[in-house]
Amino acid sequence: MTTPARRRLMRDFKRLQEDPPAGVSGAPSDNNIMLWNAVIFGPHDTPFEDGTFKLTIEFTEEYPNKPPTVRFISKMFHPNVYADGSICLDILQNRWSPTYDVSAILTSIQSLLHDPNPNSPANNEAAQLYRENRREYEKKVAAIVQESWNDDEDEGEDEEDGEESKAGS
Amino acid sequence: MAAQAHAIDYDPERNYDEDTLAQQREIEKEIAESQPLISSLFTFDDIVEEYTREDEVYRHKIENLKTRYANLRKTRGDGNCFFRAFGFGYLETLLSNPTDYQRFLEICEKSKDELIALGFPQFTLEDFYDTFIDIVKQVKNPGQLEKLLETFNDQGLSDYFVVYLRLLVSGFLQKNEDDYIPFIDGERTVKQFCSQEVEPMGKESDHIHAVALTKALRVPICVEYMDREGQTCNSFMFDPTESPEESSPKPALTLLYRPGHYDILYPL
Repeated sequence: MTTPARRRLMRDFKRLQEDPPAGVSGAPSDNNIMLWNAVIFGPHDTPFEDGTFKLTIEFTEEYPNKPPTVRFISKMFHPNVYADGSICLDILQNRWSPTYDVSAILTSIQSLLHDPNPNSPANNEAAQLYRENRREYEKKVAAIVQESWNDDEDEGEDEEDGEESKAGS
Repeated sequence: MAAQAHAIDYDPERNYDEDTLAQQREIEKEIAESQPLISSLFTFDDIVEEYTREDEVYRHKIENLKTRYANLRKTRGDGNCFFRAFGFGYLETLLSNPTDYQRFLEICEKSKDELIALGFPQFTLEDFYDTFIDIVKQVKNPGQLEKLLETFNDQGLSDYFVVYLRLLVSGFLQKNEDDYIPFIDGERTVKQFCSQEVEPMGKESDHIHAVALTKALRVPICVEYMDREGQTCNSFMFDPTESPEESSPKPALTLLYRPGHYDILYPL
């Protein structure tokens, strides 16, 4: 039976295909509409430029009334991203509005790459370098941008299974 | 002991938000299993037992309510009770009031374009609106009470209805920003207040939410406040009309407020 969450996710997917925002993409995994794979391309004029960062988005039946769980599976170095890839972003927690859709989620995360918030750090080292040593910060980010390409090569062959465990390590 | 060990192990780079959210979901699940979203009718004798025998103030107030109201319906305590109580309670009255139904339908139908004009994202707004208006149209035919009760106890549909009411409140406050900014606490704009306290599901309603909702939909409601002050409940009328001449002293529905929670009252 189709539920409001599943119906809405189909609509989100349709919209994302018809009217894709620049620099992000996403789609439900093959056999489960509640689990999506997404990619955010590092925004221009930021140290993340040219990176291809993979994420998973996990929805519950309460979507869109509750936010999904979003996690980077590509390695990330950013003041607001935890070591396990989860993201400290207000709209994914207490400021979630049911009017957000997948497109809005991905573009918000994209702009977080642009504008980190070093005042609520999830990664202390990244936050400190961002504030005090921008050059070193950019060097560390450049390293994970490089790594994000390796991810692609690794996963080209086995897209279907085991992607999460492999990329997450 | 365990709690202490946990405190020592605190890792600033670990994401504890998810633990908090998981715990919150556990609590919500417990509440969901024990309380329907909208209950069947109760008598006051059923709720008097919720208070200890020594609690004279409340018992006295319930006795007083019994002289004016016959029954009540309880709503689930999930932070959406005001909106859900309003939504169900008002649609229930429309089952036997075709004139008011027509008026309400027109206001609802106009609201979609107004909200889009205010800047709400059309794509998601339409999704909520479509479900909302389908539910409103359920009460066109009298005798659909069972179906309405079923709809409001379907978590998905019921929550969609609540979301749309929340968006109406947000839209109304943003449209009348200048009138409401003095009532907003903290250094927040009306838009910030709406995105923090109105639009997210589960955020409890305050006086300002009730004022905005009744004005946005032009539905007068009465709230009986039952707290420990005084001998009888304080009743407060939310009257959407601006001038005393056109004011309608008769509320379309009455809610019972007990600290932190709204239920629906049915007059004798």
